[in-house]
Amino acid sequence: MTRRTEQELLLRRLWRERLLRGEIDRRTFLTNSLVAGLGMAGVGVAAKYGIGSALAQDRPLTPTYYQWIVDLHPSIPQVNAQFPGINAQIAPVEGFGIERFVAEAKNGESTWDVYVGQTPFVEMSAMIAADVIEPWDPYIPKDVLDDMIPSIRAENTIDGKLYGWPFLLDVIGMGWHSGITNKAGLPDTPPATWDEYLANAKAVVDSGAAPFGATFDAHGWRSLAPMTHSLDPNVYTADGLFDFTSDQAIEALMLMKKIMALSHPDILLAGASDGGVNGTPDEVAFAAQRVGYYTKYFNAPLRMAQYWDDPGELHLAPQPKFTGGAGSTVFWTTGCALFKHGKNKEKVAEYIRALTYDPQIWQDSIAGTATGHPGQLPPYKSIYAAWDASPPDWMPPFVGLVRSQLDQARAITNHIFGLQQFVIGQPYWETYLKGEEPDPRAAMQKVVEAVQAEIKRG
Amino acid sequence: MAQALTSRWPRARDGISPWLFLVPAVAFFVGYQVYPIFRVVWISFTDYQFLTNEPARWVGLDNYAVALNDPLMWVSLWRAFLFTMMFLPGTIILPLLLAILIDRVTSPRLATVYRVILLIPAVIPSTLVFVLWKWMYNYQVGPINHILVEVLGLFTVHNAPQWLGGTSLTLPSIAIMEIWWGLGYHTIFFLAGLAAIPKELPEAARLDGANEWQIFWHVTRHGLQPIMMILIVLRFGTSMAVIDEYLIFGGFNRDSPTYTWTIYMYDQAFKLGMWRQGFAAAIGMIGAVVMMFFVAILLYIFRRRG
Repeated sequence: MTRRTEQELLLRRLWRERLLRGEIDRRTFLTNSLVAGLGMAGVGVAAKYGIGSALAQDRPLTPTYYQWIVDLHPSIPQVNAQFPGINAQIAPVEGFGIERFVAEAKNGESTWDVYVGQTPFVEMSAMIAADVIEPWDPYIPKDVLDDMIPSIRAENTIDGKLYGWPFLLDVIGMGWHSGITNKAGLPDTPPATWDEYLANAKAVVDSGAAPFGATFDAHGWRSLAPMTHSLDPNVYTADGLFDFTSDQAIEALMLMKKIMALSHPDILLAGASDGGVNGTPDEVAFAAQRVGYYTKYFNAPLRMAQYWDDPGELHLAPQPKFTGGAGSTVFWTTGCALFKHGKNKEKVAEYIRALTYDPQIWQDSIAGTATGHPGQLPPYKSIYAAWDASPPDWMPPFVGLVRSQLDQARAITNHIFGLQQFVIGQPYWETYLKGEEPDPRAAMQKVVEAVQAEIKRG
Repeated sequence: MAQALTSRWPRARDGISPWLFLVPAVAFFVGYQVYPIFRVVWISFTDYQFLTNEPARWVGLDNYAVALNDPLMWVSLWRAFLFTMMFLPGTIILPLLLAILIDRVTSPRLATVYRVILLIPAVIPSTLVFVLWKWMYNYQVGPINHILVEVLGLFTVHNAPQWLGGTSLTLPSIAIMEIWWGLGYHTIFFLAGLAAIPKELPEAARLDGANEWQIFWHVTRHGLQPIMMILIVLRFGTSMAVIDEYLIFGGFNRDSPTYTWTIYMYDQAFKLGMWRQGFAAAIGMIGAVVMMFFVAILLYIFRRRG
């Protein structure tokens, strides 16, 4: 009985949407609604005349979002309003868990059409391996594909196929508290090299402007990898793993130790949420105005500065580089994955295009709103070009600086252990940072052995 | 013939009826308890990986051999045992003392007030408890370190205690939180046990010249033994198998004292590689067998004597 009622309601809703879209006339709407309302007999008739297959294939457009995306980007509902009948939902993926998606795919079904929340190096390889998602290539318009910044397009491509439609771009950069740095007698210009960065951080501590000079997030993909990329981004093995024993990675590890000497003692501790990944000690120190300089994705300093006496004292700039280094960094996009067993695929492409080009979303993200200041950037060349041609009055200067760095920036290579290699390795390279292992190369060798041991297990 | 059938039917019906009434409970027990256990046992003998659509293959004892030869298995079990040793005494001694004190309050109204105050932590949702204690223990802005550094001047911002996040203080810190959280709940257990001890027994002992300690040791302790057994066995199981608190306060750093066998199992099942759930099931079964071994010892210690 319940099932029949559901079917009737779905059919009625379907015909109403088609009427609103102008796809059917009022007479057809009334006839079909009457048929659908005849109970089981009506549903049988509907099936005979093809209405059942319409029901199966034409469920409302059903995207699902990671919760934080909706929280931080309040204009998304305005985009949704352009798609009548859309059934936007929050995804059951707390802590990046994709088990529900995988379980549904094993049964050849999907509750949703598209997942807005996929980070390629974190989960894209797993979603492909589990046959959960399919490439966007048949559905994405060519002009959109050509508009993607090449490094971002490469990030979302595996074996020549685009498995992620990029949306929100996070880039590892630098932030500083000018209230603290000015007190330390430092200028408001960003340190361009790590040597300058360390010298400035030391000046903060020595002057007593703040107890700590600089901080970073201890998770490898947020510190070790971007610092390595700032010297040289080509540090991946033929298998697609991060080359922990490369000279560049060793240099980055030594840099981390130098920064730690000027930082808060709890810098290596786990965070307070998402399995220790978020709510990290660096964020608390920066929010508490106890540290001058900070390297992390821009969202972090922007969010933490909201707790300051004067958030206007936050300045942002690209990540410093080693003298003579490439000046690269790490970025990742949080984008959209197309469910293999989802529906409405052409319409999903239309929706994601509208979402990712929406000017209000980008203004809110970069300039901030009353509800949040994510600082996430667009993935398309044309948006930056339009801003360059006619700079909006709300545009902060860091966006142009970061855009120019994106041509050298590189995402962490996609691999089933793309994220986990850093989680497995962290306790080993931390032996060097804590002074338990004097040789950084020996510590990194143990990282490689631990990662390889896990990979061998399958 | 028909008469014989008619006379046998009531007897047959009487014989079947109890089983019919048991069907819902048995179905629930089998479906909800027995089947999942056997399913996990079966998975532990396969190479089942959640992210692949390949059928699971029988690998016999391979997963158990790998797990038992993995130092991380034993280290992670030892960490869970350490936490249990920090946590269990606090769930018995403190609530017992409190229950004895409250039991001696003669004013019924005051006794009720004490009971209500004690039960407040037990009714706070776990999320709020974790948020509260994460803030309390925070290195930079937590009130505990604020008092130690700013008020008492015992430490500086450079050497204040690091309570959470994988340091050696993390397990004791979580144990303190858990003891506080369950204090009222466990005290109520002991209060129920104390109420079941006939008042004549301690009074008779007192008349015979026994002091308060002797009354506690020879009368009250014996009367509370069944409650103690229930609490110790139950809380041994829950403390060995803690996972939420470790995920929240410690993360997935394998060097952290919070990386216990439960986190190791979760890590293998839902995080690493192709999600090796066959191997994770073997880790879980090893952990379960170790726990059952200790529970058997506890039941033997608390067996009814005489």
